Amino acid sequence: MSKTETGPAGPAAGLVRGLERFLDATPGFLDMLPIGVYVCDRDGTLIQFNRRAAELWGRTPKVGSERFCGTHKAYTIDGKPLDLAQSPMSEVLKTGQPAQNREFILERPDGSRITIVANVEPIFDDQGKVVGAIDCFQDITNLRAAEDAVRQSERGFRQLLEALPAAVYTTDAAGRITFFNQAAAELWGVRPALGSAEWCGSWKLYWPDGTPLAHGDCPMAMALKENRPMRGVEAVAERPDGTRVPFMPFPTLLRDEAGNLTGAVNMLVDISERKEADSRQKVLLDELNHRVKNTLATVQSLAAQTVRGTKVPRAVRDNFEARLVALSRAHDQLTRGRWESANLKEIAEEIFAPYRSKGGNGLVIDGEGVYLAPQASLMLAMIFHELATNAAKYGSLSAPTGQLALSWKVANGSGPRRLRIEWQESGGPQVTEPARRGFGSKLVERGITQELKGSAEMTFDPGGLRCTMEIPLGT
Amino acid sequence: MWEGESGRTPFAGLDVLIVEDEAIVSFLVEDMLIELGCGTVRHAGSVTEALAALAAKRPDAAVLDVNLGGYKVYPVAERLRELGVPFLFATGYDASTLSREWAGRPLVQKPFQLAALAASLRAALAGRR
Repeated sequence: MSKTETGPAGPAAGLVRGLERFLDATPGFLDMLPIGVYVCDRDGTLIQFNRRAAELWGRTPKVGSERFCGTHKAYTIDGKPLDLAQSPMSEVLKTGQPAQNREFILERPDGSRITIVANVEPIFDDQGKVVGAIDCFQDITNLRAAEDAVRQSERGFRQLLEALPAAVYTTDAAGRITFFNQAAAELWGVRPALGSAEWCGSWKLYWPDGTPLAHGDCPMAMALKENRPMRGVEAVAERPDGTRVPFMPFPTLLRDEAGNLTGAVNMLVDISERKEADSRQKVLLDELNHRVKNTLATVQSLAAQTVRGTKVPRAVRDNFEARLVALSRAHDQLTRGRWESANLKEIAEEIFAPYRSKGGNGLVIDGEGVYLAPQASLMLAMIFHELATNAAKYGSLSAPTGQLALSWKVANGSGPRRLRIEWQESGGPQVTEPARRGFGSKLVERGITQELKGSAEMTFDPGGLRCTMEIPLGT
Repeated sequence: MWEGESGRTPFAGLDVLIVEDEAIVSFLVEDMLIELGCGTVRHAGSVTEALAALAAKRPDAAVLDVNLGGYKVYPVAERLRELGVPFLFATGYDASTLSREWAGRPLVQKPFQLAALAASLRAALAGRR
């Protein structure tokens, strides 16, 4: 490290001495610093630099003749050539004000370039006059490259989200919208103001049944407020033009490495098509059910016309009609379940509704809500109807003290699930085994064992009829 | 003759209009109403016929099928409401498919038995909604 060989003479000599004192006070230690350091006098002449500065410049400048900086070439951060007379060093010497965190590109004689950040401080003499300045600069090429990579990756993700055909938006932890993609803007019919719009960018929100839903109560808001993801919810967005879009939101919370909530991302899936298909299917099934029931009413009428004026007892016609109605009600249950399944509890309650309305104190139905396939639903409805009719005529429901307990359980053993149903009458007239099997017991036997591939046992216990049925349930 | 809980029919001598587009089904409803003790049972197969029947003579009660060959029976229901005539719906549709305006009116689902028709007709006459 060498000191300045030539300096200003005459009146300025005192100032130069002041700068030299500063430099003398720091012998050798500049070379130990991991940052580039150089000093210029008040004219901008380079008078000292450390080892790291020379490394960063890629050259060893000539002390006492070069001005403002020891670099081969310099550029602004956007790549324009920099005149060193416009550099921070020159500026600080002129103004006496420090220049902080200025970023530049330096080019070495071998053509390689680095990005540096420079901090320049003026040096004053005892009278407070600027006698020079010191520039501390460091290589931030890798840091900038890493930042660029992060920016590039963020841009990549943003482009990815933008390109998705699903509506996606993000919020901060307070629920303020920080990003939304084109699909979201299209679903909402509006472009919400980033940073101020909260929870959801839609114009208005409703529950699927049409009741208004406040933005602060929407699934995204609930996820953020209750700190848990939300699934399986549906809502309806209304656009400013009045059109409505049913959608399914998938709000998911975002966390930093420490697990703190940083925001949330939400994907809104437009379910209009599914909803339309659902309602078309419902209309079709309603029409079909309507046709079936009109046909059953026609059959009922034909039977009535057939027995009209004959000696067929009224009770025969009543029995027939009651069976027809039981079958029809089971159809209703299945229509409500889209002909996929019907609830056993609802089937049983429907069959027993007439007995309940006549008091039905001794009637207990006990079982969980089990969903049955159409075939099993119809068969069990008809069996319950037959058994209940018999109970009302001859069994426990014919006596005021009679009891009837219908219960079922799903057995979760190894192998397929099985439904076990118990029909137990008590407190009625004494039971004797009938000489001839009625329609009810034939239905239990053949319907359960053959049609539903189950097993059944009917016991004519003197204290009351007991019927146990077991059928396999679908997966 | 069907008898109510009181021992005598509450429907004796009633003039009832059936609005039903399916002839075979209308026979059944007609027989049931006669069996319940109604005096006169008239029949209309369409909205136009029903409105004409109402203009000719105000009935004491009416039984309305909801879907008349693709047309809804509601204009007839409207007219009956204006006239203050009690009525019930008899339909193959689920009760939930009934227009909101008429929801809660007495309704029997086809096919139905005599007792269900009697209960629904009694509810209509009592003005119970």
